[in-house]
This record gives sequence, C-alpha cells and structure tokens, in this order.
Amino acid sequence: MKRLIVVILVATFLGGLFLFGLLRGQPDRNIESNRLGREMPGFELPVHAPLLAEFGPTFEFNPEALDKPIIVNFWATWCAPCRDEAPVLEYAWQEYGDEVIVLGIQTQDRDNQRAGVAFMNEFGLTFPNVIDNSSRVSIDWGLFGVPETYFIRRDGTLAYKHVGIVTNELMDERIAELLQS
Amino acid sequence: MIHAASGTSRRLGQLRLALVLLPVLLITLAGSLSVAQEAVELEARVFELAGQLRCPVCTSESVAESSSPTSLEMREMIQEQIALGRSDAEVLAYFQDRYGDWILLEPPKRGLHLLVWILPAVVGAAALVTLFIYIRRWTKAGSQPVEVDPEDRDRVRRALGESQ
Amino acid sequence: MNDLLTLSTLGGGALYIALALAVYAFLSGLIGAARRDARLQTSARLAAVAAFLAVTVGIVVMEVALLTDDFSVEYVAQQSRIDSPTWVKVVTLWAALEGSILLWGWLLAGYTALLAITAPNTVLRPWALVVMQGVLIFFLGTTIFAANPFTHLPNPPLDGPGPNALLQNHWMMAVHPVLMYLGFVGLTVPFAYAMAALITRLPGQAWMTQTRRWTLTGWGFLTAAIIAGGWWSYEVLGWGGYWAWDPVENVSFLPWLTATAFIHSVQVQERRRMLKGWNLLLVTLTFALTILGTFLTRSGIVSSVHAFGDGPVGPIFLAFFILVLLFSFGLIALRWDQVRDRAELDDPVSREGSILLANILFLALAFAVLLGTIFPLIVEAITGDKVTVGAPFFDQVSVPVFLIIFLLMGIGPLLPWRKAQEQTLLRNLAWMAGTGLLFALVAFLFGVNRVYPLLTIAVAGWNIASLALLIHGAIAPRLKLTNRSAVQVFRQYAFESRRRFGSMIVHFGIIVIALGVTGASGYRIDAQMRFDYNVPVHFQGYDLIARDGYREEVPGRVTIGAIVDVERNGTYVTTLRPRINSFGQSQMDAPTPDVLYRPMHDLYLSLAGDVLPGQEFVVLRVVQSPLVSWIWIGGLIAVIGTVWALLPRPGRQRQRVTAAKGVARAHD
Repeated sequence: MKRLIVVILVATFLGGLFLFGLLRGQPDRNIESNRLGREMPGFELPVHAPLLAEFGPTFEFNPEALDKPIIVNFWATWCAPCRDEAPVLEYAWQEYGDEVIVLGIQTQDRDNQRAGVAFMNEFGLTFPNVIDNSSRVSIDWGLFGVPETYFIRRDGTLAYKHVGIVTNELMDERIAELLQS
Repeated sequence: MIHAASGTSRRLGQLRLALVLLPVLLITLAGSLSVAQEAVELEARVFELAGQLRCPVCTSESVAESSSPTSLEMREMIQEQIALGRSDAEVLAYFQDRYGDWILLEPPKRGLHLLVWILPAVVGAAALVTLFIYIRRWTKAGSQPVEVDPEDRDRVRRALGESQ
Repeated sequence: MNDLLTLSTLGGGALYIALALAVYAFLSGLIGAARRDARLQTSARLAAVAAFLAVTVGIVVMEVALLTDDFSVEYVAQQSRIDSPTWVKVVTLWAALEGSILLWGWLLAGYTALLAITAPNTVLRPWALVVMQGVLIFFLGTTIFAANPFTHLPNPPLDGPGPNALLQNHWMMAVHPVLMYLGFVGLTVPFAYAMAALITRLPGQAWMTQTRRWTLTGWGFLTAAIIAGGWWSYEVLGWGGYWAWDPVENVSFLPWLTATAFIHSVQVQERRRMLKGWNLLLVTLTFALTILGTFLTRSGIVSSVHAFGDGPVGPIFLAFFILVLLFSFGLIALRWDQVRDRAELDDPVSREGSILLANILFLALAFAVLLGTIFPLIVEAITGDKVTVGAPFFDQVSVPVFLIIFLLMGIGPLLPWRKAQEQTLLRNLAWMAGTGLLFALVAFLFGVNRVYPLLTIAVAGWNIASLALLIHGAIAPRLKLTNRSAVQVFRQYAFESRRRFGSMIVHFGIIVIALGVTGASGYRIDAQMRFDYNVPVHFQGYDLIARDGYREEVPGRVTIGAIVDVERNGTYVTTLRPRINSFGQSQMDAPTPDVLYRPMHDLYLSLAGDVLPGQEFVVLRVVQSPLVSWIWIGGLIAVIGTVWALLPRPGRQRQRVTAAKGVARAHD
C-alpha cells in the first residue's frame, strides 16, 4: 500500500505540474524587467525624418537630467500589435504631452528607416520617434520583443514595463501614477 | 608438437599486432585536435560567452547559436567589452543586470536555482548509497549458506523418500 | 453522392473501422486471456492484423490525397502545396501533428500485428497483445477524435502553404521521424510483455527473453534516430552544432538513457536471476518517458527550436501519461512482493556489479536531464519567475557522469560474472590504464591541453585497450586449439558470438562518438566574417574566396546564396554554396549551410546576412569543427553493431544437424 501511495503522489505531482503548464499555455516573454526601480541606461539616437524640425537631429535620453517623466515604446514595422497600439501612443502624447514625454523607438528592424517613416505617416505620429538601427539600445534596456513600453519616472528610474499592446485606459492609469511620484 | 606451438605463437603475434594497430588509428584522430590551435583567441571567447546567454528574441537558442540581428549585436557587445578588458563574469553580469536571471543559460547557484544543482547530486548520491547498502546485503546473502526451514527440509526428505 | 465518396470519408472511415477492430481485439483479448479461451484469443489476434490493414488503408488514402493535391482533406490543405517535390508530398504525412500521430498509430498497429502473428504462443502473449491494443486504441482515438487529419473541407482552397520550411529543406525529414517512432513503438513491446508478466503474476524471465530482440531493435532505432536528428540539426540550423540540449532533444534522450540501462540490466537477470523488479521498473519508465516526451513536445509548454505543429492534444497526452503512470507503476507496486527476488552477489567487482553501478549512473543522469528540462516550469509554478536552464547546465552535469560510464564501459565487459580473478583483473587494468595514459600523453604533446578533452581521449584509449583485450581473450585460446589463421578464428568468433561481438562494435561506435563530440565541442572555431567578392580571406589554413552572390527561383522555392571557393595552400579544394531557401508563401526562411566534410575537421559555411544585387560582399558564419563527422560515423558503427547482434547465427541450424548426425553416429 505504501508503494502505491508513492506512485500516486508522484503522479499527482507531475500531473499538477503539467496541468499548470497546460493552463499557462505557451511560455511567453512577459518577464518583469530586472531594472524595476533603478535608473535606465542613457542613449542618443537619430530622430526620424518627419520630426527633425521639431526635435532636432538626435534625441538624447539622460536619466540624470530628465525634466519630465518619459514613456518609451519599442516598435517595429513588421509587428502587428505595434500597428494596433500606435494610435494609443499618439493619444497619450496628445492628452498628456505637457506633463510627460512619449518616445517611440523603432528597433529589431534592420536598416528599415524608410519603412519606419512610412509607419509614422500612416498613423500620423507626432511624438518623437527615433531609430535604433543596431538594436543596441533595445538590448541595453533588456527588451525581449516588440512592443514593449517602459514608464520612466522623473528621476530616471523604471516605474513599470508593459509587454504587449497598450490601451488608452492603461496609459491613463500609468501616467497618473507617474505624475504622482 | 613443437612445430605447431611455434605456429601458434606466430599467429598470436599477428593477432596482437592487429590489435595494437587499432589504437594507433584512433590516436591519429585525437592528434588532429591540435590543428585547431591557430584560432583567434578573442573570437573563441566571444562565442564561449555568447553560448552562456539566451537569445532574448528567439524560441530557444543561445546567443552563440542564433543568427538573429539581436544576437549578432549582442556578440558585438561582448567583443567590445572583452576588448575593454572586462572579465567573463563582468560581461555576463552586464546582460544579467538588464535581462535578469532568465538570460543566463546556466542557472546561477543561489535561491531557488540551487535546487536544479543540488537535487541531481542528492538523488545521485542517495542512489549510490542505496546501491552500496543493497550490495552489502546481497554479498552477505551470497556468502552465507541458505537457511532452510526444518519443516521444509523434512518435506523434501519425505518427497525424496517417497520417490525412491 | 459525390460528397459521400471523398478521400476524407474513405480515410476517416478506415480509421473508424481500425478503432472498432482495435477495441474488439482489446475486449476479446481481455476476456480470452482472462478465461483462457483459445478461440477468443485467436479472434483477437486476427482482429489485430485486420486493424493494421485498416490503418494501412488510412495511410494509403492520406498519401493519395497528398500526392493528388486533394485540398478537400484538411490536413492536405494545411500542410501540402502543389508545387512541392513528390518526396516532400510523401513525407508531409508526418510533417505535422495529425499525420505524426497517424503514422505512430500505424507503426504501432504494424508491430502489434507482427507480434500477433510471430510471437510464440505463451501465457504472456494474449495479455501483451491486450496492452498493445490499449495503447493503439489511445493513438487511434486521439487521431479520430482530437487530431483528425481527414476532416473534410467543403470549400477546399486552391493551394496550401506547404510543410514547415525547416522540415522540407532536408531529406532527413523522410528518415529521422520514422526512426524515432520505430524506436518508441519498438520499446512498447517489452513494456507490454512486462505488464503481461505482472498481470499473470509471472514476473520471471519469460517476458524479457521473449522480447529481447524487440528491445534491442527499439534501442537501435532510437539510437539511429538521435544521431540522425543531430546530423539533421547540423545540416539545417546554420550554426554548425548538432545538439543544444533543447527540451525536444532532451526528451528523446531520456528514454534512450533508461533503455540503455535496461538492455544492460536484463543481462543480469538472465544470468543471475536478480533485479526482476528493477527491470520491470526500467522498461515501464522507458515507455512512460516516450509518452511524456511526446506530451512535452506536442503541448508546447516548454520552448524549443524543434517545436513543430502543436495542437489540441496536450491534455489528452497528459491524461494518458498519468494513466500509464498510475496503471503500470501501480501494478508494479501491487505486485512488488512477487517481484522481489532473493538477490545475492558474490563480489561487487564483477560484471553484474559494474552493470548495477552503470545503471545507477544512467538513471541519475536521466533524472538530472528531466529535472533540468522541466525546471523552468517548476519555478514558474512556485514563484511565477521565468528562468532558463540551458546547455551549460546539462554539459556540466552530463560530461562527468558520461566519463565514469565510459570507464565502466571499458572495465565491465572484461569482468566475469560472479567474481573477478584478481590477477587477471589487475593485468587488464594495467593495460587499459597504460593505453589511456599513452593516448592522453600523445594528445597532450599534439597540443590538446584542456581537462575534459584529455580525459575523454584517455577514456577512449582505456576502452580501445579493453576491446583489444576482449578480442584477444576470445581469440587467443581458440588459436591454440586449431591450426587456422587468426583472421579465420576471428571471423568464426564474430559470427558465432553475435551478441557479444555486436556489443563490442556498439561500444566501439560509442567511443568514436565520444571522440567526435570532444573535438566538435571542445575545439570548434566559430567566426562571423565579411567577405568582399574575390578577396581571399584566411581561415584556419584555408583561403576562402567569395566569388558572387546568386538568386535562384524554381517553382515553389526561392534561394539566395553565395558562391565561395575554398583553397588550401594555394590549391583549389572545392566550391561551397551557403544559401537560404524560402518555400512558397511561407514567411519562414530555412538556412541551408554548405559543408566541406573532412575526416579531421569540417569546414561549415552559413549565410549570415542578405545577398543583394549590387552588394559587393557577403557576411558568412564560418565554423571549423574538428572530428565532427565521427559522431555520425560512430552512430553508424553503433547501429551496425546492433544489427550484428540481432542477426541470427548462421551456423546454428547446421550445428544442430551435425549434432544430430553425431548422435546418430554414436548410436550406430
């Protein structure tokens, strides 16, 4: 009888574990950023053509010298959810542009500047958008895939990272948090 | 008789010669490993480190295996950092700092990760100890005469007696 | 009327009939076995054959649908394409989940039918067939109710996307999956007999001896499948490696480890009548691991490069796995008192002692590999964190264990059963250690200076000496008895002691593989380089000259590639064409490296960037892997050894006749 109980226990453990796996589904990359609460690395990237006049040739992110909180969104032209959320980012910029900066970074999109500009024009994006040709900034920021959106406090520290598509409600809520801190 | 014996030793000699040739063949292969020494040390170290990092944008590949642009860039970054004189541990820590433990293909030896290192050792050791105990028991069983019930012995005797 | 006679209804109908036959065979076999009713048992055996024929009809119908591009069959619409080459269409049968399960069911039905026809009529046979039918019912049921390839599409598309690019890019797709399933299915037979032995309360020798060939066949196929899979990865993944401790690779390795332990420990039971329970556990574990492996790969709950086509079968396979665990291990637990044997050991330093120790090591390694594979899942279940366990972990755990296993592989076969003679043992050990040291020393002088490669080379020497001593020990005494030459005596020995000599070949193959792995992983040179056209680039004694890029379009396939001339010391060696294939509308590209195969090292070129018109350079990944070819050669040697051990002894029949004559003469 004792042996039978051992068999049942092992089967229950494995069954439970794999059942958990089935319920969870395919492993995804929704992984908490390791930099939560810490300063994010600085960078300087070339600004996309349509916005040169407004923002200058490059955009510099210096965590030590931010005058507003900043929301950094990584996107690529081949990424379908990025297309879906482009209007949301534009909404956030229109709504909260005075209090926060919204920055788009085109990444993991090898040398596709032209497609990037077309993407911006398609959605009428007016917030600063830069290109990370080598994907180096995305690696520095611990990016797994696109889209990912980082919410940075005024002191340059990471408040929250969102994996996948963002919504207007989520933007409202997170920006309110950013402004409170 | 003497003639046959010398024939035997000659043939034994042939057999032994043939058996010695086998190792010689294989060792030539082993020797060829040395050809590989010409390599650029730097390149080798880059790939060795890349082999310990998981490609963040791939399904299940290391940065050394993957040919995604992100992996290429990460290898570039490793190379730059080595050129700056950083140690292997520092390079790995750089990426771990950004991506967390997930990026390390070798689970760090702390916290819950320790389980994956300790459990196999514990299970292996326990299995060896069990085997040792069983072997002691079995060797004793092997060296001791079989104990027989007096009752059984009587039964066998009776059976034998009846058949005779 | 036309709607009734489609390939879908034909194939689906065949599967329903097969399932009905399997259920009948299961039930009549069960009742027949329980009541010892010979007529019902015969009926069950005939039904097993009929079920196989019915599944065969299903397979044929699917092949017809694939070859005639009948896109009203859903599987064809989802997996096939009109302009694929014929061989691709044929093997598309197992390019995705539904077809794979169907193929598995077919092979299983085939083995069951073969067993029903050829297996000797023993008490175990009816029960073993019942167990086989039980497994077959699961596979056919899954095919029909959860992953039906014959689903009918009322509005068929004009063309399909074709199979996964990585699959159709290499002919290995025709070989590797079939080998794997043949291995898995082959190992089902000893499991079925083991269960039969437990059910009939006859857990003695019979189940093992009756399935010896099946076990070895299954093991041989599994070995071949793993090696072939490694070579396939080498040829298509584009980074010059063959094994990455990916979850899918690991789960194919797990049953191999336990099966290897099993084929060794059965010998202990045959010779010494001990380890009864242990062997039952091992064969059950092996079977359970094949199901677990299928569950893990098909449910997609672990991430893998080789995860092709997962579907809705995850929960079903999980349920079956748990059922198998509870039923088979539960049965062993209930019968443990009968299984327990009165083991005795004369001396741990003996053949059985070495096999026992190796068994423990195989199992410990299997545990470590399994734990490492599912560890991310365990951590996520406990803390929600996502972690990784990759190649560095598995390398660190497995290499030392394998080195010890290799040590035992050298010493074990030289040890006699029961008790070793101290003097002979010491002399043998001296020879082996000497050769091992010599090997390591020579390698060191050649420049090999890392610890694990040196140890592996030493262990190779140790094993080579062991093999030489084994052959010497077998031949020398015979030489003294006859006047025939060493070659003749050797030949006679090799043919007469097939199992023994076959095992020597297999062990030799394993050593060759070990050397290949050492070279390929310890001394591989990997570089990513830019090649300007017509400018030689020096790499490891070669001069590589990229001549041009090219683009090739044939119906159904677009290829971009580079033409690279390889020269060595100023002489032209070959031209390599590393390229990338894309198929049909599929977005996925299949890297297609080109390899210069050489016995000492391979030169491996893989395209690592675009080839664009007007671009005067190409970026290539260049890999030099020493000895890597010996992994495949060693695998081939191991398979040859297995076949050698399986072939019947040619002299046996004749011997019997001569013996009979001798008896007749003695009577005269």
